[in-house]
Amino acid sequence: MSSKSSILLPALLVLLTIVLMPASGIAELTQTEVSESLICYACPGEPLNIDRCSGGNQMRDVIQEMLDKGKSKPEILDYFVGQFGDSILTTVPKKGFNLIAYTGPFIGLLVGIPVAFLVIRRWGLRGRKESAEQTTSGEPTALDDEMRLRIEKELSELDKED
Amino acid sequence: MITFGILSQLAALFFTLLSMGLLLAGLGRNNVRLVESGKRGLLSALAATTLASIALAYLFLTDNFQVEYVASYSDRALPIFYKATAFWAGQKGSLLFWAWVLSLFIGLVIFSNRKEPDDRNTPYVYLVMAGTLSFFLFLLCVISNPFDTLNFMPRDGQGLNPMLQNPGMIFHPPTLFLGYIGFTVPFAYAIAAMITGSSDASWIRKTRVWNVLSWVFLSIGIILGGQWAYVELGWGGYWAWDPVENASFIPWLVSTAFIHTAIIQERRGVMKVWNMVLVQLTFILCIFGTYLVRSGILQSVHDFGATGLGGYFLLFLIVITVGGVYLLAESYSEFKTPGSVESYLSRESTFLFNNVILLALAFATLLGTVFPILSEVVTGNKITVGQPFFNQVNTPLFLLLILLTGICPLIGWRKATVSNLRRNFLFPGIVALLSGIVMVAFGIRQTYALLAFVLAAFVGGTIIQEYVTAILSRKKLTGESSPGAAVKILWKMRRRYGGHIVHFGLAMMVVGIAASSAYKLEKQATLKQGETMTIGDFTLEYEGFRQYEKYNRTIYAARLGVFRDGKRIDEMEAERRYYVNAKQPTTEVAIRSTLAQDLYVTMPGIGQGNEITLKVAINPLLIWIWFGSGLMVVGGVLAIIPSRRRES
Repeated sequence: MSSKSSILLPALLVLLTIVLMPASGIAELTQTEVSESLICYACPGEPLNIDRCSGGNQMRDVIQEMLDKGKSKPEILDYFVGQFGDSILTTVPKKGFNLIAYTGPFIGLLVGIPVAFLVIRRWGLRGRKESAEQTTSGEPTALDDEMRLRIEKELSELDKED
Repeated sequence: MITFGILSQLAALFFTLLSMGLLLAGLGRNNVRLVESGKRGLLSALAATTLASIALAYLFLTDNFQVEYVASYSDRALPIFYKATAFWAGQKGSLLFWAWVLSLFIGLVIFSNRKEPDDRNTPYVYLVMAGTLSFFLFLLCVISNPFDTLNFMPRDGQGLNPMLQNPGMIFHPPTLFLGYIGFTVPFAYAIAAMITGSSDASWIRKTRVWNVLSWVFLSIGIILGGQWAYVELGWGGYWAWDPVENASFIPWLVSTAFIHTAIIQERRGVMKVWNMVLVQLTFILCIFGTYLVRSGILQSVHDFGATGLGGYFLLFLIVITVGGVYLLAESYSEFKTPGSVESYLSRESTFLFNNVILLALAFATLLGTVFPILSEVVTGNKITVGQPFFNQVNTPLFLLLILLTGICPLIGWRKATVSNLRRNFLFPGIVALLSGIVMVAFGIRQTYALLAFVLAAFVGGTIIQEYVTAILSRKKLTGESSPGAAVKILWKMRRRYGGHIVHFGLAMMVVGIAASSAYKLEKQATLKQGETMTIGDFTLEYEGFRQYEKYNRTIYAARLGVFRDGKRIDEMEAERRYYVNAKQPTTEVAIRSTLAQDLYVTMPGIGQGNEITLKVAINPLLIWIWFGSGLMVVGGVLAIIPSRRRES
């Protein structure tokens, strides 16, 4: 197998994905997509897309009617918010205290990534110091070469293993 | 048998507490015989929990409804295999199952250490595991006893929730529990290492199989849960970011991070403190998940067994968290080891970034899960955090993770050179780019879906490139045939390729998730016999209706002919079931799965003259999720098959 094959195989995988994808399925708004953003008014806390009670059926019927009339998702959600208030949504409104839920993970990332960089920098400084110490510690002896070869061999084995 | 069960549980608690005493005394007096006696006590506890479990199973199988737990979760008409499921359908049985598996794992740890004399860590390992076991046995004996009886003998039981009468539910809870409980072993080894100050990687090596095996079980449990939701709940999805689902997913994310950094400690002797944090966090989150499920503080569609045990789990959680933090602070100086790399571009660095993303994902999921409680405490208004929120926050993080999944294995330890990077990244990069161009040309424009496909192609490309290169090298060296070389590489380097298979499975899952979420089709229609409805390329014709009795249910089934291009290609049967003792009917989904798409049919209503309402969906590439997750499990198992060379 040549290096061309290593391109060909994943490319075939991708092409297969595309061929298999139904051509007609281009992002059509579905009842589920709308109902997953709403809670059943009769069963507090239960998302409408999972709920199966008769109260939920009424809401689903309304959604279907509005979808048939060509209404968009925000329009349908606005209708239900008008009827029941914000608490009918499963989407957390982006205001006030709720902003913590949206920003928290990304603040975590903003802290985590620089910390990771700092850790790597410290590792790097140490790694370079170790390398410098090795090169300035006098003439290399036969034992040093032997050791270096051994280290190189073990490192390359490490790379092979994992 | 009831008394026998109660006595067995009490005996198990007695033996466990006795063992703890003996182990502590053995450690205090440096007496090996006392430690040995402590171990024998734990094996006796295993025998006792086994007998208690047999007793409960017997009570279910013999329909002994005087036992309140049996009466609550079983009835005479329940098929025998669901009577077995009913063992863990509620909280009390789940606790007994947990105690039995934990005592079994303690027995396995003792068995696996039988050939070597106890080092200074192992008595502490047994002590920590015994402490955890005693907590569950205490709950069983004092607070939540599955052998509690009613004052009268009911004629029949209340039956098992119809939604739990599904083959997936026979295996879903036990595998999830096996995952949760399995993490007790690495946790115990980590605590023992901190107490004794053993800062080498021996605990990591000893617990590697337990880590990966627990991760595999947790993965299987999560997948089976998703499959159960897909075939049983009838809403057409497999994951709803429900609190109970999240409770299992959060420790899965943290344990995935731990599995990666454990490799670094094993290979390079660094990140010791971080690994201690991760292994403790994994275990704490397993208990926290159980607390969330059992306390009833959050509403969940999986809320099948919540009662007032939350306080006890919270107390246990506080003890292990405070204890773990204290031990870590005490032993910090011994475990602190500065790492050394020669470049920002090294495998160590990419693993560190992978950890940051995995933990950000875990944090985002945890925050979303507990946010209704936080919001109620702070604003007085309990809001619901649903699927759209999690999709919005977690999707970008997931995409970053997939990118790192492709990058990590291509970068060498310590330092990667530019030529190294060019050689390794060129082909997967081209594949990803080409796939992006082709997809845009084919009209795929949804940003996240497009990114997911491109990144999955990148990951697939990197793995296939490496596998093909390895096959070619082996062929050149040994003269073997391509299939022979391919199999031998997989087997001889199973730890490495096990990991690659896991990553490849993940890429397949990503394709399935992106396609089935972004390109789903859905339609609802009410049909009289002989009428048809069309969705995508398919036309469904309502051909017939029948009603019949089976086991403990009455079934109303609609037969549907499936047509494509005017040709009848298949037949499906959607059902509504009325179970004995159930208040509401349930829908039984009909699914026609192919590699390309799932045709998913539910029947939410039956009207006069057997007029039926059908909800039909086409979920593109959904089966790729199950194939991909299956590959992840296979890869995980392959990676822990021990190698003779290593052992020798």
